Amino acid sequence: MKERFLFPYWCKYLGIVLFLAHLPIYIVKKMMHVQFDNNDPSLFSGQHIFYISTALSMVIGLLMIAFSKEKIEDEQISQLRLESLKWAICFNYLLLIISLTFTKGYDAIDILRMNLWLPLMVFILLFRWKMYRNNRLIKDDAI
Amino acid sequence: MKTNIRVERAIKNITQADLAGLIGVSRQTINTIESNRYVPSTVLALKIARVFGKPVEEIFILEEGD
Repeated sequence: MKERFLFPYWCKYLGIVLFLAHLPIYIVKKMMHVQFDNNDPSLFSGQHIFYISTALSMVIGLLMIAFSKEKIEDEQISQLRLESLKWAICFNYLLLIISLTFTKGYDAIDILRMNLWLPLMVFILLFRWKMYRNNRLIKDDAI
Repeated sequence: MKTNIRVERAIKNITQADLAGLIGVSRQTINTIESNRYVPSTVLALKIARVFGKPVEEIFILEEGD
């Protein structure tokens, strides 16, 4: 069968680790009241490194969870994935259109920032839910 | 589309998991095909037919309206 472009299975766990790792970093920064120099012109300034270690590690984590292979990857699972992706994108854009209609200024920027992770998150939840539902149906008619 | 996989499995006395293992798909996939929630690709249909040693038409049957 055709080889599909997806990360290997273990990437799912690496993704979960990366996703969870951003929380302690964020909490420690909040608790210690760390302030960064916003005028630092170098690329790897404190602020930027903080950004890489939180927002980007979260997004890379989500990306890995979303697009890593299942234990047994086959065409039916591919179809589920595609279907979930379609609905996630539709839902996301609908939400984006509605929320941008009713906000402006800084709120609108926050909404766009939320879009960094929202489509991936919705996709993962939808896909997992569909997988769970299929697995439950197997149990229902276990032979 | 109708399918006889369940009957053929009973004749051959293999479980969904056995069949899934034989053709290298998940058990979920066999289950969704048997319960008419998923139409397999030609490749997969041919593989299933090969396991039962029958032509594809005897395992997957077109219905009115397909």
